[in-house]
Amino acid sequence: MTMVVGARGLADQKARQGAARRPYRPNLALLRALVGVVFVAIWTFVAYFYGSNFIPSPAETFRSAMRMMSDATIPTALASTVYVFVVGYLLAAAFAIPLGLFMGGFRIFGAAIEPYVDALSAMPRVSFIPLIIIFLGLGYEAKICVVFLGAIMPILLNTYTGVLNSDADLIEMAHASGASEMQIFQKVMLPGALPYIIAGMRVGAGLALINTVVAELYTAVQGLGGLLSVYGNTFRMGPYFVVVILLAIIGLITMRSLKALERRLTRGYARTRI
Amino acid sequence: MNDHVPQAEAFPAGSAAISIRNVSKWFRRADNANPVHALKNVSLDIAPNSFVSLVGPSGCGKTTLLRLLNGLIAADEGEILVDGKPPVRGPHMGLVFQSIRLMPWRTIRANVYFPLELMGVAQNECVERANFYLSMMGISKFGDAYPHELSGGMQQRAALARALISQPAFLLMDEPFAALDAQTREFMQIEVMKIRENLKGVVVFVTHSVDEAILLSDQIVMMSPRPGQIAEILPVNLPQPRWDHDVRARKEFVELRAHLWDGIKAMVVNDPESEFYQRDRLGPRMSTPSGG
Repeated sequence: MTMVVGARGLADQKARQGAARRPYRPNLALLRALVGVVFVAIWTFVAYFYGSNFIPSPAETFRSAMRMMSDATIPTALASTVYVFVVGYLLAAAFAIPLGLFMGGFRIFGAAIEPYVDALSAMPRVSFIPLIIIFLGLGYEAKICVVFLGAIMPILLNTYTGVLNSDADLIEMAHASGASEMQIFQKVMLPGALPYIIAGMRVGAGLALINTVVAELYTAVQGLGGLLSVYGNTFRMGPYFVVVILLAIIGLITMRSLKALERRLTRGYARTRI
Repeated sequence: MNDHVPQAEAFPAGSAAISIRNVSKWFRRADNANPVHALKNVSLDIAPNSFVSLVGPSGCGKTTLLRLLNGLIAADEGEILVDGKPPVRGPHMGLVFQSIRLMPWRTIRANVYFPLELMGVAQNECVERANFYLSMMGISKFGDAYPHELSGGMQQRAALARALISQPAFLLMDEPFAALDAQTREFMQIEVMKIRENLKGVVVFVTHSVDEAILLSDQIVMMSPRPGQIAEILPVNLPQPRWDHDVRARKEFVELRAHLWDGIKAMVVNDPESEFYQRDRLGPRMSTPSGG
């Protein structure tokens, strides 16, 4: 018998023993594919039931997608939407994370602006759109601004909460070891807030995507949101479904990448991951 | 042992590594009512290279005294001198806590070299010295593991390595083994005794365990609660080293243990605020069932 070195080795061995004892371990990838197949089957049945004027069949949707690919409708719209989404979202994170850290680091400042942040976070961001149009027009700047405002609050509030919830025992330990206030912030409070920040970024990503579509509907009609409005109003359900599926795929890719990032950054946090 | 000479007078001024003179400390309560008198007129001299334990019931100010020595809090009255200077927090004071306080996002090795990193020591030297202390504590192979992957005893050994890595002249330990199971605790005591053989410096050790205090210390400071003050200072006259054989059967150990325990028990059962107030007598006798 080989010696298992290290706690991780032991944990692995335990996990393997646990798996061996169980009579059947489901294959997750297979299960997920199965769910997809069931979904497509239901879709086909409903499409057949209601007729393609209401619900296009998967095959019809696929044909629409091919057509929209070849005449560059999808690439153009997708590029525009992804651009607005990514720039607006990254700007939101770049603004919210430092501000949240600052609010948490300087408690009195954080407490002073907290009620305004709360008020803004509960407010429907759509109500800002007329104002944004007045100042920024109908182009990319206005759209990016809508996405920015939509995504900023969860990231800001989570970062702030993460810093406020930092471990007092660890801070005292660092303090006793001679750490400066800056070192405590950088080496104890910031890493402690990381799981909160990433959770906020996940929520923010969802809201950013929603607000991307909202912006494309309310400002210059453009991108996937614009196509949604055009096809929806003219009852061209095949292309309409293609756009809906594309939006779902963008959401899926974003959430999956953020989860992967979370796993990478919070490897040691097993107990504190939220 | 009422005729025992307090150690505070046994050392001429200036020769002590730590000198505590007439120190008092109050804590303000949240409701702003009467402040709690945590320490009252405490005077104590700790000789260079000695191992001193602070024992006493809860609320006797043991931990407060430790935090004063570290410079985490300041005394309201009196004076504390550590190596002739007022206490300053920093890497010259190794601190070990009951709650182990390893950072969950750092590997064990990175936790161990944290104090060096604060001092601005270069990364490769940090790693080198961390590896040395990891091997000293017998946890070399866990350097790359994360704290939650280790048992409580292993984690506390990592915390000890972290406290030792800056080669502190003073090691302050606040009930370090209270959260460990009885067996792990005994092995950790042996670890501390071995560390004492290798390293020069003062150790101040706070514990609730009378046995632990006798086993490890050169000197035991028994404190009494409300307000916290020094009740008695007792030398431990057991030969060193004590880790290679069991000293608990020796007459000196048994006598000292009985004396300390009697003292602590008396403080607890006579303290109206203690949960064991007047619990030193037999309760009402249960009546035997009739017909028995």
